[in-house]
Amino acid sequence: MPEDSQNPISPAQRSFSSDPKAVGHFAATASEDSLLLARVHSGDQNAMAALFDRYSSVVYSVALRVLKDSAQAEDVMQEIFIRIWRNPEAFQSARGSFGSWLAVVARNRAIDSLRRRRPSDAVEDVVLVSKTNTASDAEHNVLIEKVRILMRDLPPEQKASVELAFFDGLTHSEIAEKTGEALGTVKTRIRLALVSLRKALRT
Amino acid sequence: MQALTPEESSAVQSHVDGCADCRRELAEQTGDLSVLALSVEQQPLPAGSRERFLARVAAEPRAAATPQLSVAPGPSRRRIMPVLLPWAACAAMLAVAAYLGVKNSTLEQTLNTDRAQIATLAAQAARAQSVLDTLTAPSAQRATLTAGKPVAAPTGHTTYVPERGALIFVANHLQQVPASKTYELWIIPANGSAPIPAGTFRPDANGTASVILPPLPQGVPAKAFGVTIENEGGADKPTMPIVLSGE
Repeated sequence: MPEDSQNPISPAQRSFSSDPKAVGHFAATASEDSLLLARVHSGDQNAMAALFDRYSSVVYSVALRVLKDSAQAEDVMQEIFIRIWRNPEAFQSARGSFGSWLAVVARNRAIDSLRRRRPSDAVEDVVLVSKTNTASDAEHNVLIEKVRILMRDLPPEQKASVELAFFDGLTHSEIAEKTGEALGTVKTRIRLALVSLRKALRT
Repeated sequence: MQALTPEESSAVQSHVDGCADCRRELAEQTGDLSVLALSVEQQPLPAGSRERFLARVAAEPRAAATPQLSVAPGPSRRRIMPVLLPWAACAAMLAVAAYLGVKNSTLEQTLNTDRAQIATLAAQAARAQSVLDTLTAPSAQRATLTAGKPVAAPTGHTTYVPERGALIFVANHLQQVPASKTYELWIIPANGSAPIPAGTFRPDANGTASVILPPLPQGVPAKAFGVTIENEGGADKPTMPIVLSGE
């Protein structure tokens, strides 16, 4: 999503945890999320509202970054949260943090919506392992900032390939066709970008 | 990243399903990419989106499930259990009903058998009581039929079952005895032991008397029976003479 001068959220608040009250307390502890999910499991609508308040902005922003359409992004966000309401067990704590899991699910569902196809995988199938420590808001902010710096500093062709793949939902072949590069080159660029991402997250 | 064609994705998925290392690598890669997703600039929600979501939630009230969040549930567990539970309850109730039905039938058969036995015993008891009433009724007319002139001599008839200690004695044409005296029946044991007193009796106006089931020891075969005249209340040992006797 390009910088938007009309964005009412101040630049300082546009990361996920600079102001927990305003933009959702992303680094909330896993135990708090588990407690809320347990209450959702028992049909507690207030707990569902609390989860929505905590993570809806994350989900919507990721979906909007992919779809670039507010209505479609809200549809994706609504469907993801209503899915959690209907089936809170879809997320298992062993699959990483709830916020990270939601971000990946939002991205995948948005790509599916972009391609106007049926969901490519069930939300239960999204498994992720986080090697990073984001137990506190500060640590989480540092991590997000690392990734932003990395993306800014990547060679332009690597950055473009990753963004086309991750946020625009293009296949390697489609990227190659779009950029005029060889398929092998596209794959190499994406692989190198992912290696850099991992290094940045581990240091 | 969903960056593969459907055919490529299918082939990769087949491999990942059977390769633990690749599953772990894919999960780690997804974890890394989750941070990339989270790095997008945060945007405000469209106006009213929260209210729209809460309205959908309110429109889909969920029945309270188990209070704890299952850590590793099967994907269809919650869908199956609410369906199975009522059927399981019905099956259990049917099993209990079947058991109670069988039990009731058995008890009814036992009751019917008992009723038949009671009816048989009641009929036998009624006949036995009728026999006793006939033998012992004061108004009974008794006669001893003989080929010649009537015999006026006293007679007694004893029926004795040693193993049960049961005895019935009926006498006729007995002489009256003073008020201070009484007839007494004796069993003379076959083993030569002392005579056993078997009840006292006084004749009615017709000279008839009976002793019905007096208290006796069981298992004492009799060699003979005798009747003596004793003082009122009876005696421990027979007093001579023996006025009636028989074997």
